[in-house]
Amino acid sequence: AIEDLFASLHRNIDKSDYEKAVKDADQVLSIAPNDEDAIRCKVVALIKDDKIDDALSVIQSSRNLPIDLGFQKAYCLYRQNKLEEASACLRGRERDPETLLLEAQILYRQGNAAACADVYQKLQKSGIETAEVNLVASLVSAGKSSQ
Amino acid sequence: NPIVLDLAYNCITFPDIENRM
Ligand SMILES: [K+]
Repeated sequence: AIEDLFASLHRNIDKSDYEKAVKDADQVLSIAPNDEDAIRCKVVALIKDDKIDDALSVIQSSRNLPIDLGFQKAYCLYRQNKLEEASACLRGRERDPETLLLEAQILYRQGNAAACADVYQKLQKSGIETAEVNLVASLVSAGKSSQ
Repeated sequence: NPIVLDLAYNCITFPDIENRM
């Protein structure tokens, strides 16, 4: 039954056995092809298993479903160093902490350390936990590039 | 360039599936 598959999926996620988690999700999807939880679990498990291309394929084949995987897609594109595409994917999204954190990382990789530092400072001001090390890195990098 | 932590990775999280079991 689908409940048993989700129970197995849950166990494998707990054990960080992402390959098995993907198999469980696939079994759910063979019964219920558009199951949002199964699709989300599959995408996340593939990303955690470093299978970024596969994660993007799943996201792409789910594009006509009413499931928002825009953040996950942007993250995969960022991992593939497709920074322009990743940035475009974030455009128009709600400026929530996860979106801002990814935007900062994209800006950093694009060599726009000053804009990156701005985003981190904005996050800190709104009390969002960020890593001091990232802010410092962006400030140092911004300082270097302005010399 | 200093290495920057991938904080966005931590935002990639599994949905809550407890109610599906
Ligand atoms: K970063």
